[in-house]
Amino acid sequence: MEITPELVKRVAANARLNLKEDEVKKFAAEMKEILANFEKLSEVNTDGVEPSFHPIPVKNVTREDKPGKCLDREEALSLTPHKKNGYFRGPKTI
Amino acid sequence: MKSEIVIGLEIHVQLKTQTKLFCSCPTEAVEPNTAICPTCLGHPGSKPVMNAKALEYGAKLALSLGCKIAPTVVFSRKTYFYPDLAKNYQITQYEVPLGSNGQIILDNKKVVHIQRAHLEEDPGALIHEAGGCLIDYNRSGIPLVEVVTAPDMESPAEAREFMKKVLNVLGYLGIFDQNTCVIKADANVSIKEKGYTRVEIKNITGFKEIERALNYEVQRQKQQDVKRETRGWDADKGITYHMRSKEQEEDYGYITETDLPLFEISQDWIRKIQATIPELAEQRAIRWTKDWKIDEDDANIIAADLDVATLFEEIARKTDPILTSRWTRREVLRLLNDKKKTLKETEFEAKTLTELFKLLQEKKITDRIGQRIIEQLADKKFSPNAYVTEQKLEVMADEGALEKICKEVIAKNEKAVTDYKAGEEKSLMFLIGQVMKQTKGTAAPNVVKEVLKSLLK
Amino acid sequence: MIKKFVKEALAGKINLVEHTEKALEEAEKINKEYHYITAFADAVNRAKELQEQVKNGTAKGKLFGVLISVKDSICVKDTETTASSAILKGYKPVFNATVIQKCLDEGAIILGKTVMDEFGFGGFSTNVGKGYQKPLNPYDKKRSTGGSSGGAAGLTKKASFPHIALGESTGGSIVNPASFCGVVGICPTYGRVSRYGLIDYGNSLDKVGTLALNTEDAALLLEVISGRDSHDSTTADQPVHNYSETPGAISGLRIGIVKEAYAEGIDNNVRKHVLEAVYKLEQKGARRIEISLPIGMNYGVPTYFTLAPAEASTNLAKYCGIRYGANEQLTGNFNEYFSRVRNNNFGEEAKRRLLLGTFARQAGYRDAFYTKAAKVRTKIIQEYAQAFKQVDVIITPTVAIQAPTFDEVKKLTPLQNFMIDLLTVSPNLAGLPHMTIPVAEANGLPVGMMIIGPQFGEQKIIQVARAHEK
Repeated sequence: MEITPELVKRVAANARLNLKEDEVKKFAAEMKEILANFEKLSEVNTDGVEPSFHPIPVKNVTREDKPGKCLDREEALSLTPHKKNGYFRGPKTI
Repeated sequence: MKSEIVIGLEIHVQLKTQTKLFCSCPTEAVEPNTAICPTCLGHPGSKPVMNAKALEYGAKLALSLGCKIAPTVVFSRKTYFYPDLAKNYQITQYEVPLGSNGQIILDNKKVVHIQRAHLEEDPGALIHEAGGCLIDYNRSGIPLVEVVTAPDMESPAEAREFMKKVLNVLGYLGIFDQNTCVIKADANVSIKEKGYTRVEIKNITGFKEIERALNYEVQRQKQQDVKRETRGWDADKGITYHMRSKEQEEDYGYITETDLPLFEISQDWIRKIQATIPELAEQRAIRWTKDWKIDEDDANIIAADLDVATLFEEIARKTDPILTSRWTRREVLRLLNDKKKTLKETEFEAKTLTELFKLLQEKKITDRIGQRIIEQLADKKFSPNAYVTEQKLEVMADEGALEKICKEVIAKNEKAVTDYKAGEEKSLMFLIGQVMKQTKGTAAPNVVKEVLKSLLK
Repeated sequence: MIKKFVKEALAGKINLVEHTEKALEEAEKINKEYHYITAFADAVNRAKELQEQVKNGTAKGKLFGVLISVKDSICVKDTETTASSAILKGYKPVFNATVIQKCLDEGAIILGKTVMDEFGFGGFSTNVGKGYQKPLNPYDKKRSTGGSSGGAAGLTKKASFPHIALGESTGGSIVNPASFCGVVGICPTYGRVSRYGLIDYGNSLDKVGTLALNTEDAALLLEVISGRDSHDSTTADQPVHNYSETPGAISGLRIGIVKEAYAEGIDNNVRKHVLEAVYKLEQKGARRIEISLPIGMNYGVPTYFTLAPAEASTNLAKYCGIRYGANEQLTGNFNEYFSRVRNNNFGEEAKRRLLLGTFARQAGYRDAFYTKAAKVRTKIIQEYAQAFKQVDVIITPTVAIQAPTFDEVKKLTPLQNFMIDLLTVSPNLAGLPHMTIPVAEANGLPVGMMIIGPQFGEQKIIQVARAHEK
């Protein structure tokens, strides 16, 4: 499998990391070594095996549709300087 | 042969629960950022907990759309970055939706297949402003059902009808509040002459906008180059605009949501939910047509409005159903349409309408008087029986008096008489009209016609 | 030791305020040299509160007056909680993690937050975030504490005052540093302890656990924090036992010795001392049975380092410079802004795992990596389940080596770094309870022995540890 700097750039963009050129090269080389090693996963016969996403099966936990206590708006907004008139502020989207 | 236009829809329906999908914040709040908590704000360490009612309502909707419910319900993380998405991932369902393989049949008998119906959380609300955006997380975490159709619709009108039928089902189920809950759609549309190159139109609100947006887009595709892209619908300007190309599409990198358990769905649970689903519009209409022999068209139209259907059924049990159905469709529904009101916003009630329809069915009043009364019943509650007596609006039974009036009308309208005798049927209608005026509408029109005809022989 | 202290504190025999002030002084001194604590909590005021309770006769709780340090990935209300990452610098949660509330309900005093590999990404606590200082091994300052709960393990060894540490493990981050620092570390079954308020690394792998100088103390804190929590849907509805009262009786107990865990890759001193400890257990009535766990031992590392970063890469998506945490001027469009804030504030290992994890779940690679790893995980879980039909507990060395120097750590490639976790990733993948106890010293450094139990078999492993300590 080819781990090119282009692939790393794409993955980095997906992860919202604007890596510098030397970072891209370094990570590409490392990923190559790591993923080459991880390819041995294909050696394990998993025919008919279901994937496990929890180690211990967890089932059917729900809660009642009853309103509970909310956060005070001022408290929530106090965690950031980016706010205005009761709204959170974010960067340009268009 | 494939159609000229191919349309598929993804509809997002907000469920009418008290609290959000994964936290206990209320679903209704007015002031921005007042229905929030660490979970729906995406604070580190917060965890989702499933709202039992949302699961029920989701299943209820899926079953009502004819879907099969998955035996194990699993949730997924759809990761993408946007300021209104509190965790920069949305908890939704990817591999195994709650419901699948349902359908809705349109009036023209076309089957629109429903590929899936699944639960997911809504992001917050974004307001664009100069140099940035403002975000309100009140909506973050609101429970939604996403219904995805196969590309089975062949016109904007069919898409509109489909959405209306979904709204109808939602009304019957009581899991959707038209006033506070939102229904949005994304549409996929392609046309034959551009090689069925598919364009996605996002964020269309309501069934009227669906037809508008799709009409615009079909026209646009006919006139412009079409490439695979995502476009947004601007309802104010009435246009679609480019948002992003399909190559720029995010790779959502779906994984299983491991902060949530698996939900194993038992047959028992499904049966319980099924039992809470009322008889839906289509079945109701079929039953009326079968049992009461009312007109199929009338039945479908009345059944489509839940409140009117309930009212109709109550009245029809005590009166002549065929007459009641005609009057419900042609008068009640027409008035609601004209006044742009829902049934609940008028003064119509079963008691007064039953009285009125009995008068009509017993031919105690004419249709014209009936129309006059029903218009008033929309705005005021009163007894039609009492009103008719007071105002002396009973059908004119005195033949002598009627003949006298007819003779008067003939005398006063020489030209019309001449024209009628010359072959103008219209003039007879005019004369009848004049008699109706004189009798304040209490003369039975067919009787008047006979009397006039015999007088004019 | 802790139980004795609590008894005296409840009886009013200890001036809690003085005691706490002295302890803080000592902690600050230790910190100057070893860099274990990133933020101190308001312990003195809490001590005053508890002192009042003694006066009023309302004092109660299994941890009354005890100082608890908290790994920095566990949220403490109004106390800087950053998971040792620059991207959360200054962040003060508006809520307590459930485990913290449980400690407070039992009369504990929160001492402060202990340093860690950023978000848990590491086995040597050398991957602390930008602006943080790495912790030093209590035996030798040139050596690593292990990780990622390095600060917790180091402080546990160094502190002379009654203290228990809250740690966290995703792939071995409790037992690894406990082993390198010569203390006891218990990682419970997945779902035994609530993760509500734990800053997520891998949601299907994270567990909060405890570190202490002896098994009884570690078990005491464990019994306090265990139990079903309505805030965390993955917590188990299993009864919580008084783990600290588990006796060290092991007559007839079957101990599984994993053939692959004692092979050539293991340091000779480590192997020798762990086997000696096992022999001592046999003398106390236990029976050894050789078992083989080829899938876990050979494929645990790629399985773990596919699944954990995949989950982590979604968990870390929320850190983007709005709502809370590190932020900058809102210039550029949203993607530019997010990328800038994240790139500026995540450390190297965090970026590496983000790339690895994002890749593993990307369309086109997802089946071969993420889904495949999840299937191998099933096989590892089944392999252990099979083993536990023949044995009651499994014993291996905790780590193949003793605490390395920082120079040795620097020379490791990323893949070699991952391989250090070889022995611990499998029980973590299977969600099994496991603990480490120091069994010997060699060359002036501790050797740790790991005891693994079946699901919800905390009592079994504690039993063995107690037997060893007797």
